[in-house]
Amino acid sequence: MKPAPFEYVRPDTLDAAVQALNHEDARIIAGGQSLVPMMNFRLVQPERLVDINRIEALTPIVQTDTGVRVGALTRHVEAEYHPLLREHFPIISEAMPYVAHLAIRNRGTIAGSLCHADPSAEWPLLAILLNGEIEILGGSGSRTVPAEEFFMAPLTTDIAETELVTGVFFPSPPASCGMAFDEVSWRAGDFAIVAAGALVYIEKNRFVNVRLVLGGVFDTPIRITALEEALVGQSANQDAIEAVLSLTTKDLEPNDDLHASAEYRLSLVHVLARRVLTCALERASS
Amino acid sequence: MTDAIAYARPKYIGKSIQRLEDSRLLTGRGRYAADFQVPRMAHLAFVRSDQAYARICQIETHDAKELPGVIGIFTASDFAHIPEITAPSKMLNYHPTFCPVLARDFVRYVGEPVVAILAEDRYVGEDAAALIEIEYDPRDVAVTAREASSPNAPKLHDSLGSNTIFSRQFAAGDCVKAISDAVHVVSGQFCMTRKTSVSIEPRAYMAEFEPQKDTLTLHSATNIPGIVRDEIGRLLGLSGNKFRVVTCDVGGSFGGKGSLYPEEIIVCDLALRLERSIKYVADRMEDILSSSQAFEEEVAATLAVDENGHFTALKADILGDIGAYSIYPWTAALEPVQVASFLPGPYRIPHYTATVRGICTPKPPTGPYRGVGRPMAVFALERLVDKAAFTLGLSPTELRRRNLVGTEEFPHRIGSGIIWNRSGFHECLNAAEEAVDLPSIQAEKTSRKDKWVGVGFASYAELTGIGSRIAVAPGMPMNTGAETATIRIDATGAVSAVFAMSSHGQSLETTLAQIVAEELGVLPEDVNVIQGDTSLTPHGTGTYASRSAVIGGGVAVKATRGLLVKVKRVAATLFGVSPSDIQTGDGNIFVPNTNFAINFAEIARLVYSDMSTLPQEARETLEFQATYDPIVGTTTSATHAAVVEIDPETLLIKLRRHFVAEDCGRLINPLVVNGQVHGGVAQGIGAALLEELKFDDAGQPITATLADYLVPTSAEVPDLEVAHIETELPDSPGGFRGMGEGGTIGAPAAIANAVTDALSQLGIEVNSLPITPSKLHALIAAATKQDRQE
Repeated sequence: MKPAPFEYVRPDTLDAAVQALNHEDARIIAGGQSLVPMMNFRLVQPERLVDINRIEALTPIVQTDTGVRVGALTRHVEAEYHPLLREHFPIISEAMPYVAHLAIRNRGTIAGSLCHADPSAEWPLLAILLNGEIEILGGSGSRTVPAEEFFMAPLTTDIAETELVTGVFFPSPPASCGMAFDEVSWRAGDFAIVAAGALVYIEKNRFVNVRLVLGGVFDTPIRITALEEALVGQSANQDAIEAVLSLTTKDLEPNDDLHASAEYRLSLVHVLARRVLTCALERASS
Repeated sequence: MTDAIAYARPKYIGKSIQRLEDSRLLTGRGRYAADFQVPRMAHLAFVRSDQAYARICQIETHDAKELPGVIGIFTASDFAHIPEITAPSKMLNYHPTFCPVLARDFVRYVGEPVVAILAEDRYVGEDAAALIEIEYDPRDVAVTAREASSPNAPKLHDSLGSNTIFSRQFAAGDCVKAISDAVHVVSGQFCMTRKTSVSIEPRAYMAEFEPQKDTLTLHSATNIPGIVRDEIGRLLGLSGNKFRVVTCDVGGSFGGKGSLYPEEIIVCDLALRLERSIKYVADRMEDILSSSQAFEEEVAATLAVDENGHFTALKADILGDIGAYSIYPWTAALEPVQVASFLPGPYRIPHYTATVRGICTPKPPTGPYRGVGRPMAVFALERLVDKAAFTLGLSPTELRRRNLVGTEEFPHRIGSGIIWNRSGFHECLNAAEEAVDLPSIQAEKTSRKDKWVGVGFASYAELTGIGSRIAVAPGMPMNTGAETATIRIDATGAVSAVFAMSSHGQSLETTLAQIVAEELGVLPEDVNVIQGDTSLTPHGTGTYASRSAVIGGGVAVKATRGLLVKVKRVAATLFGVSPSDIQTGDGNIFVPNTNFAINFAEIARLVYSDMSTLPQEARETLEFQATYDPIVGTTTSATHAAVVEIDPETLLIKLRRHFVAEDCGRLINPLVVNGQVHGGVAQGIGAALLEELKFDDAGQPITATLADYLVPTSAEVPDLEVAHIETELPDSPGGFRGMGEGGTIGAPAAIANAVTDALSQLGIEVNSLPITPSKLHALIAAATKQDRQE
């Protein structure tokens, strides 16, 4: 379980990183928590590793007029405890303990998780739920991709080999917004069998906006738009949630794998959707 | 003086002394096989089969040979001089298999070593492995024991008549009549799935070639150094003066390091041929794929009960999936036969019949695994006991109480021939029942809607510290019943205790030191326990089968007492008193109520260095060697009680409490006993709720990493509660019983019973382990469907 030979470079600036990526089969290493095991299994054999850990421009978490920008190198544990994120997006600190184990959260990064795009990972789900915008830099300049369009397939995103993610922008949600996250995994820290996140915005006791995103069920995290739309305009109460819950699992064909049957996953989708919507509603109301 | 009262006022035995090995192991100063670095050491890597069963057509090694840093590439033909590994047995209807150190002509499981690569480092070795191409001609496979046992199944070994490599019958009384006469009969089909050990340290071997003396030392992560020395010596034609095995620190085995492996033979052979030291360290995937596996059995069993709730008969058919080869030295019969041997459990069951078959399948060989057969036996029987209790409308504890062998009934021979001696069968059950408080759980079951709560019990007995009358494995022509030890005081007064067996986590450095210190009258930290070096002892096998407390502890008592006689004789001469006047303690040798006193350092000087104080004939060497063989063994017993709660929506199963009442005789060190019980229960939790090696229809393992093979972590293990019941002590030196495996033996059954109890309102039974939320979901769906149909 040793990696194939590779070249290692460690640029100090974004420009140098972009330059270094302009090379046959180059891969970025940040926290290395998914990449290194894959290299040791020789599932990936990059010619060159570009270590971005020394690039200071990738680290800050800053507030803007419209939201919070999180640098690509932000470690999971930093995101969990950062005051700005705790204030504006408490769901992040609620979800972070589900990301593997503490030692992994100390090293793994937000951009690493987004770019790895594991279908059961928490960050892709959160990015879609929170309407995040992924900032990407490449040889021909920078671009921004909405999180919802970023994830294309398991372990596949809308990013070229010569590009890198520099950060994620999370727009501020309205004040009367409640959010909740829940997940079922076999053991503490395991990949999610099903994960669910909900964001509920109410005004005058009615649902104004609802987002429900599921992870671990399908090739990428998915929004349940039918349910979201059905709730908007309804009275903000538990009955309304119960009335639309069946929309969650309608037409959904969850993955069937080694760890859980599709039928079991479907039952979990129902349970977790109810739990996160109920909890988000309570938080929005209080 | 009988041992039952030997330690009326013990100083060290029974005390929770901090482990003497901890400061070394916890500060990273332990020395494991992988830590050895010597000049010119080369590294071994393997290309392993990616086919379950196939003929090897061609192996292309040219590109790999050319790679800089590659020393040599070896295939089966390079080891033609080494006989195949084969495990003999005197058991009737047993057919040994023949396993070459590298696959020859055929591969028979994914993970079987096919090509060995010797390189300057492991990185180059794996680069070379990637360049080797093996062409296979796949054969049809029968992956499960059930399929492979069919007469038309493809045969895994052409030389054998069928895939059934052993079969055996047990019969006592007239089971057929007893079952047909019975008022109540309960039956079930029980199965457990394959497990792997997952030691923190994977298997690792370093063969150190010493050119000065032309000798070879194998530093091996094994728990059977003596067996490895003897058999590699036989296979390579080496005797003990040229070859020794040293275990150093070993990071767990759980059975997985308790057999002879091809890789350790290859490192030795190549080290001798190339005259350089060679290291092989398995990576985690290799360890999962190629270390011995276990527990894959199906048991169809029937229990008959009379109108008073007394068991009358037990009948079982046991099918063991033993994998591709019969492992050395235990044979593939070890585990399945043990299921049959222990199935009647701690109960009075007059009529017993069982058939056992071991079936070859294209999967890794099975071998010892903590509990060996008894986790399956206890799971099957204790599920039947709960079913019977339910049928009779009795509480599970009451039915057990009516059938457990009574205190006055020992010794009691069970239907398989095993004899139970006095042990706390009833005392453990009573303690568990009291700890759990059944009425309060019953009340919670009815009042709580947000959780399904259940409680389960499992009572069992096991034979530990097995002596020479019984082979640890059926028909195994090897004495595993004796251990030899030497205790000596050197010229500085230091005490050394040399044992052939070795610890791979059992804390023997501490517990054996406690025993020697207690018997000799010194401090435990003054005793240097030396273990696991075959050059220091004439014979010994290792640590397995819960034997080291009984046999190792026993020989420690015996040898130290022999040494004490010498010490007292010297002191008596010195003081001019009778040896019976001499006492020892805290490092001093003295005559009570006098000023005759001397310490061990002084007496050593008088004996070895001083030529004037003592007469020459009194200056005897302060050393004593003894061998101990318990002949039969000791009966350890326990009752486990598990309380689970299940989330009715997510079906997640939480083990809320796990209580163990066990009788292991006299505790040498309660900390160590608790540690063993805790670790064993954790492993049992894995077997009950998480761990499962899965293979697809082609025999490909699909759980080859720790992301897919799930072992319990601290988050899945509750605070474990352990009560030690000390009834009448066994007739062994010190009064110790073995207890290294019990946690794993009792926990799966107790948890299965608890989950079944929690689901009683749905009429669902847990008869296959591990039980997971996804499997529960399927069981509930099936039960609901059946309800609707009815």
